[in-house]
Amino acid sequence: MSERASRLYTESTVIMTTVRFVAPFVFTFGLFVMFHGADSSGGGFQGGAIVAAMVLMLAFAFGLESTRQWFRSSAVVGLATGGALAFVAIGLGPIFRGGAFLEYEMYGIDHAAKYGIEGVELAIGAIVAAAISGIIFAIAGGFEYTEERDD
Amino acid sequence: MTALVEVALVAFVLGCALAVVLLQDVLAVVVAFAAYSLGLAMLWLTLQAPDVALTEAAIGAGVTTVLFLLTLTKTVRPATDGQLFSAIDWPGAAVATVFAGALLWTLPAIPAVGDPDAPAWSNPDVSQFYLANAYDQTGVENAVTAVLAAYRGFDTMGEAVVVFAAVVAVLVVVRGGEGS
Repeated sequence: MSERASRLYTESTVIMTTVRFVAPFVFTFGLFVMFHGADSSGGGFQGGAIVAAMVLMLAFAFGLESTRQWFRSSAVVGLATGGALAFVAIGLGPIFRGGAFLEYEMYGIDHAAKYGIEGVELAIGAIVAAAISGIIFAIAGGFEYTEERDD
Repeated sequence: MTALVEVALVAFVLGCALAVVLLQDVLAVVVAFAAYSLGLAMLWLTLQAPDVALTEAAIGAGVTTVLFLLTLTKTVRPATDGQLFSAIDWPGAAVATVFAGALLWTLPAIPAVGDPDAPAWSNPDVSQFYLANAYDQTGVENAVTAVLAAYRGFDTMGEAVVVFAAVVAVLVVVRGGEGS
């Protein structure tokens, strides 16, 4: 397994430096697309895909194994679960305040609908980013058949 | 000017599609397919669909390409024997031509771009209602987001849960060699 990963990984100063420089901007752009989906094009699905693209970019530059150690599958599942739970919580909140599902106005704050929508977009973005990077990590990590696993 | 850009983009996309079909080397096909997605994303942009363009660029050109490249590194890359183009599969080409012809035949039934009488646009109970009321009712300026996260928020939650279920299912079934 580790031999295979090291074959994928080629150390390149140009790529590593470029990615190190570009990654924060891509991450910020992904968050921007998630939040700004309320007022211009974009939204959680697109922003999540951009954030996942940044994770893949890091994996290309710094090697799959080191990126996986930084973004373990427990973190991937945690991010996806957190996003799904946050969406459900934002949706169910108004019901406990006597409204309907996702009736943002029941939160009783100014621009509740807008903040609610941005929260939902962020939750979707977390799910999508975790899903894309998690699936690619899983496939890139190599398949291990259940019969062959010894744990 | 816009028409020129659109014609150039359509020509680029069609050229990439032909390259995907005709090239012999699998790696070249993957690269051509990424270029095809990127051209399509720009085409969406000229058609005033930036939301779709963003998704196409990130998923079609980015993530799908990475998936294909990963598949190539995990499997074998068939030898090309120095050939640039593969032999044309004439029965397949005939089926594809008939299929494309049938689709093109229905083209006149589609309303023109920007046609005010198009059913999807002129419907007073759906599209016009959302466009007229989205800002007052939700406070967001992007009507697509208003429909996704407010009017059809329950459906979107279903979609998000499907994506969540997909990643959990893949991680349960394909336990990659983490820590091994």
